[in-house]
Amino acid sequence: MNNKSLKIVLIFIAAFIVGTSPAFADNLKPQKAGPRDKCPVCGMFVAKYPDFAAQIQFQDGSIFHFDGAKDMFKYYLNLPRYAPGKKPADISALFVTNYYDLTLLDGLTAYYVSGSDVYGPMGRELIPFVREAEARDFLKDHKGKSIIRFSDVTPALLRALD
Amino acid sequence: MPNLIERQRHIIDFTLSSLLRRKGKNCALLLVYTLIVFILASVLFFTHALKREAALLLNEAPEIIVQRTLAGRYQTIPIAWSDRILKINGVISVRPRLWGYHFDSAFKANYTLTVPAGNPPQQGSIDIGSGISMMRGANRGDIIAFTGHDGIPRSFKIRNILEHESQLLANDLILLSEEDYRDFTGIPADQATDLALRVRNSREYGIIAEKITRIYPDTRPIVRTEILRTYDALFGWRSGLLIVIFSAAILAFVIFAWEKATGLSAEERREIGILKAVGWETSDILLMKFWEGTVISLTAFLVGIILAYLHVFFTSSALFAPVLKGWSTLYPAFPLTPFLDLGQVATLFFLTVVPYTITTIVPSWRAATIDPDAVMR
Repeated sequence: MNNKSLKIVLIFIAAFIVGTSPAFADNLKPQKAGPRDKCPVCGMFVAKYPDFAAQIQFQDGSIFHFDGAKDMFKYYLNLPRYAPGKKPADISALFVTNYYDLTLLDGLTAYYVSGSDVYGPMGRELIPFVREAEARDFLKDHKGKSIIRFSDVTPALLRALD
Repeated sequence: MPNLIERQRHIIDFTLSSLLRRKGKNCALLLVYTLIVFILASVLFFTHALKREAALLLNEAPEIIVQRTLAGRYQTIPIAWSDRILKINGVISVRPRLWGYHFDSAFKANYTLTVPAGNPPQQGSIDIGSGISMMRGANRGDIIAFTGHDGIPRSFKIRNILEHESQLLANDLILLSEEDYRDFTGIPADQATDLALRVRNSREYGIIAEKITRIYPDTRPIVRTEILRTYDALFGWRSGLLIVIFSAAILAFVIFAWEKATGLSAEERREIGILKAVGWETSDILLMKFWEGTVISLTAFLVGIILAYLHVFFTSSALFAPVLKGWSTLYPAFPLTPFLDLGQVATLFFLTVVPYTITTIVPSWRAATIDPDAVMR
C-alpha cells in the first residue's frame, strides 16, 4: 500500500469515527416516542400527545421522552433528582416540538413563549418555535406573556407555570 | 356435563314441537319481528355506510379550504392570493384546486370534474370513474365526448378507469389536465376553484381562518372539522327522519310482542299447569320459555340482518334510497362498499333479542309458580 492510498483510507476512517460519534450533536436525529415511553417527570405516556413531545438524549445512548417542554425543563434543571449520576454535560441533544409544523427542533436554539392560551397535556406550557418571528406572532395570537430562550428558563419560572 | 347438554337438547326439542303446534300465530310473530329487525338494520347499515364513505372522502380533504364569495355567492379565487396566505404561520402549503360539476344532458347525470394534484392525465386524455364507464359503455382507450361550457363538444381519450375504496368518491369522477379543464369550463388562467391549505397543528385552524378573512374579507375559509360536523348532522338527520317514519311500525311491534309475551293465553297457562302436574319443575318451564323466546327472536334477528345486508349492499337500498340520499337525484346509481360493524350488530341484538327473551320469561315464571291444580281447574 503506497503512501497516498493510506492517507485516503485514514481520511475515510476519521470521517467514519466523526460521523458516528455521539459527541457531535449535529448528527443526532430525534427519535419517535414509542407507545410504552413514559414521561419521567409526570409518568404520562408520551406517544399520545405528539404535538407537544420533547426529548433528551444522553451520550450513553439513553433517550428520555417528555410530554411537553415544561417537563423537559423540570428534568433538565433537576438532574440530581430525576437522573442521579448524570450531569448536564452528558446530554448529547435536546429536542422540542415546533408548534406550527409539529416537527422536532433543537431545544437549545428554540424560542419559547410562556403564558399563552395554548395548553399541553400538563396544562400551561412553554411553546417552542424555530424562528423568533413565529414566536412573536404566536405571542400576539394566543395572548402569550413573554418570549424566552433556553438559558432563561429557571425553576421559579416553571413553578409559576404550574 | 353431557347430561346437562342432553337436558337442554330435550327441552329445545319440546319447545320446537310446541311452537309448531301453534304455527299460524308464531309465524305471524316471526314475520313481523323479522320485518322490524330488517328495517332497523337497513337504516343502521345504510347511514353507517354513507358516513364511512364520507369519512373516506374527508380523509383526503385538506385541513382548510378557502373559497371566495361575491355578494354572498360562490366565486372563483385568484391564484395570486395563495402567496399571502402561505406566509401565515402554521400554513404548510397552499394548493389552488380546479374542480367542478358537469351535467350530461344526454344521460341525465352529474359528473365531478377534477384536476388531480399528482399524475394528471395528458392533454386530450382523461380518467373516468367506474360509474361513468358503465353508464356510457366506455372503456380504457375509447374516445368519449362531453359538451363544454360553450356548447361545443370535446372528445377525450380514456386513459384509465378509476377504482377506489370509496364508491361515492370515484364513481362519477372525471380527472383531466389543467389545460383541458380550463378549456372545457371556461375558467380563466389566473383563477382557481378554491385554495386547499395544509395545516399541521389542528389548534391553529381557527386562528388561521381568522387571519385569512382579515387579509381577504370576501373569502370564506372552511375548516375540515366543520365539514365533518355538517356531514354527520346531515346523515344523522336523515336516518333520524327514517326512524321516525318507522317508529309507528316499531310501536305496533312492541304492542304486539308485549301482548304476546306478557299475557299468557289460557291455553298456555293450561300447558304450564299440565307440565307441572306431570312433574316438570319451575326451572324447567322457565328454561323452556327462555328457549322459546330465543328461538323466535334469534331467527328473526338473523334473517332480518341478512336481508338488510342484502338490501343495503346488493340492491343499493332500493326501498328507501330516495329518502336517505336525496341530495341529488341526478347522481348515478352507486353501490355502497359492504361493511359490517360488529358494534352495530351488537346494539341491534341488545335492543331486540334480549328484551324480547326477558319479557317472555317473566309471565311464565308467574304462571309456573302457581299451583298446577289451580291453573288446570
